[in-house]
Amino acid sequence: MRYLMTTKATDSVPDEKLFAEMATFVEELTAAGVLLATGGLEAGGVRVTSWGDEITVTDGPFAEAKEAVAGFALVEVRSKEEAIELTRRFRKIVGDGESVIQQVFGP
Amino acid sequence: MEGVRRTIDAVWRMESAKIVATLTGMLGDVGLAEELAQDALVSALEQWPESGVPDNPGAWLTAVAKRRAVDHIRRSERLERKHEQIAYELGQRPEDADRDDVLRLMFLSCHPVLPTEARVALTLRLLGGLTAAEIARAFLVGEQVIVQRIAGAKRTLAEERVPFELPDGAELAERLSSVLGVIYLIFNEGYSATSGDDLMRPELCLEALRLGRLLAELAPREAEVHGLVALMELQASRSAARTGPSGEPVQLHEQNRGRWDQLLVRRGFTAMLRAREAGGPPGPYLLQAVIAVCHAQARTAADTDWPRIASLYEALSRLLPTPVVRLNHAVALGMAYGPEAGLAVADALTADAALRDYHLLPSVRGDLLLRLGRREEARREFRRAASLTRNVAERAFLSHRADEITAPDAPALTLGQAARDFLDRAGLDAATVRSYGQTLRRLRLSLGDELPAASLTADQVALVFRTAWGEAAAKTWNRHRSALRSFCAWASLDDLAAGLDRRAESRTRTESIDPALLDELWDLPGISLRERTLWRLLHESAARVTAVLSLNVEDLDLDDRRARAGGTWVTWRSGTAALLPRLVAGRARGPLFLADRRPGPARRPAAADLCPETGRGRLSYERAEYLFKRATKPLDPAGDGYTLRRLKPRD
Repeated sequence: MRYLMTTKATDSVPDEKLFAEMATFVEELTAAGVLLATGGLEAGGVRVTSWGDEITVTDGPFAEAKEAVAGFALVEVRSKEEAIELTRRFRKIVGDGESVIQQVFGP
Repeated sequence: MEGVRRTIDAVWRMESAKIVATLTGMLGDVGLAEELAQDALVSALEQWPESGVPDNPGAWLTAVAKRRAVDHIRRSERLERKHEQIAYELGQRPEDADRDDVLRLMFLSCHPVLPTEARVALTLRLLGGLTAAEIARAFLVGEQVIVQRIAGAKRTLAEERVPFELPDGAELAERLSSVLGVIYLIFNEGYSATSGDDLMRPELCLEALRLGRLLAELAPREAEVHGLVALMELQASRSAARTGPSGEPVQLHEQNRGRWDQLLVRRGFTAMLRAREAGGPPGPYLLQAVIAVCHAQARTAADTDWPRIASLYEALSRLLPTPVVRLNHAVALGMAYGPEAGLAVADALTADAALRDYHLLPSVRGDLLLRLGRREEARREFRRAASLTRNVAERAFLSHRADEITAPDAPALTLGQAARDFLDRAGLDAATVRSYGQTLRRLRLSLGDELPAASLTADQVALVFRTAWGEAAAKTWNRHRSALRSFCAWASLDDLAAGLDRRAESRTRTESIDPALLDELWDLPGISLRERTLWRLLHESAARVTAVLSLNVEDLDLDDRRARAGGTWVTWRSGTAALLPRLVAGRARGPLFLADRRPGPARRPAAADLCPETGRGRLSYERAEYLFKRATKPLDPAGDGYTLRRLKPRD
């Protein structure tokens, strides 16, 4: 089963140690055949809203930047607990903040 | 509490391969390594619910397991050398030693000394961290079967002193191909479940994919590894599209390509590029992956580059000349150059004994015949394919395809009906019905139940006979031949046995096993006490197999080394005498040779064939013969294994 882990933005600036630890972590997950895709997301982005017949396109940044998703990882695991365990390891590396895991259905 | 338990399970699955691999490196014994690793798991199950899950659960498990291994080494006898080993283990191991250990563990689990099914079970157990129960469920066998299979595999590895190392040079290619073979076998069992209700068992596919991806990271320079990964990623990308709403199979050219998993497709392409970078001449997995790439690149079924796929299959059939590859070649030819071209190759395969019961052959022929407008023949082939598959969803699909083709107006007497009527006649005794039934069953499976009996030709029948019994003993051949003649006479058919010569039955006695091989036989590893005793006794007594199997404990005269059986004496010598007391093991009555388990209520044998103490039945001739054949396969130059009768020494 697949899970998408998304991580919210924080104010802290990542240092070199964090980068190195993350690189090792990503390499390990890739080697274990678990990590299918991962990436960081630009702050803000473009918002497209539809209301009735009308489509509105708004450029960011937006007020609620704190709630915005800053990165994601798509993992293939055998249980929800495995996904939680991976996220636990990830959170230990990046420090304070919040990640959300959701099962992915389809395609 | 339950949550902790699930967390432990998850951590164990993620870490067990690494832990077992590291411990095997320290101890040199995979059985012991797994035992100690399991001890660490038990500690976690005991402690974590109280103390909470530690910060780094994987490291916790590894540390506890390593400590157990070190304790074990300290306790064992040769202290000095072992201490060096510990020092080496704990101090000077290079950084990537752990990764290499996992790779070593893969080579060990897939070692060629093990039978294929043991390699599969051991790999899922040690590398996948699956429990015996989970493996048993995936392969639809009893848990005990898997437990024994794994225990037997560990024993064989220990007895054969298989080293825990990375093969190199000439050995590498053979060993690697064994690892790849095991992974692909696991994948295929998941992808095209050979039996059961579901067409797919996704957890097995996922497990194989994980193992393949892991291997690709551990052995990045091997093109075939990336080829296999590419092949599996691409095949897995079609999982969702290859079954319809009610679980029926959807063929490749009819699949909704929008449901192909583009993420896996891209991963397949990436693996393909890595295979190309690794270089070397393309191996069988790489070629199959290239074929899968061709399919994945076609936007619609009509865009498929069939001429290229046909030529790839031709190249593949040179490397891997299996009937299944040739059958796929036939399909590709049929798509590229028209049904006649495909049918020519498919028809040639009907004479291949390996494909005798392979449902895809009649299914492919049915397709090609239908495209040629030969509807009635196509319908019969689909019907026959349905009768051959063990997979429920596939059977329903094939029956449906047959039903779609309207039947001819006047139903003639079909082969299936004629055979049933023939066997249902009054006055046939059970043995004859069974014997005739075997012959007719083969004809029905090979030619199809729907074939009008009157249209049978001597050529068709001769082909079935040659494919099925061409290699069989003359006696067997003649028995089937006379059954056929009897059927023809009853059904007023032409003499269909015209093309079949009666074969001379040689009266030579069964040839004994070469005495030089017997010593090897007595020393075969992993043979149970029951088998060892039976074989020795058959050899030393020169008695008939049925007489020896009929022996009861109360008939034995251990001191005089003889027993009364069916009006004769069975006598033995020291080899048997050394084993018998252990086999009897305090029993006073009942069959000497017992079956492995108690009979089910429906197949309860006569009281004389039941052990009053254990409730188990008498060992059957079929089972004893099967076990002997299987065990002697490696000894037999012909690779078939021997029959029990051949234990009787030369006069």
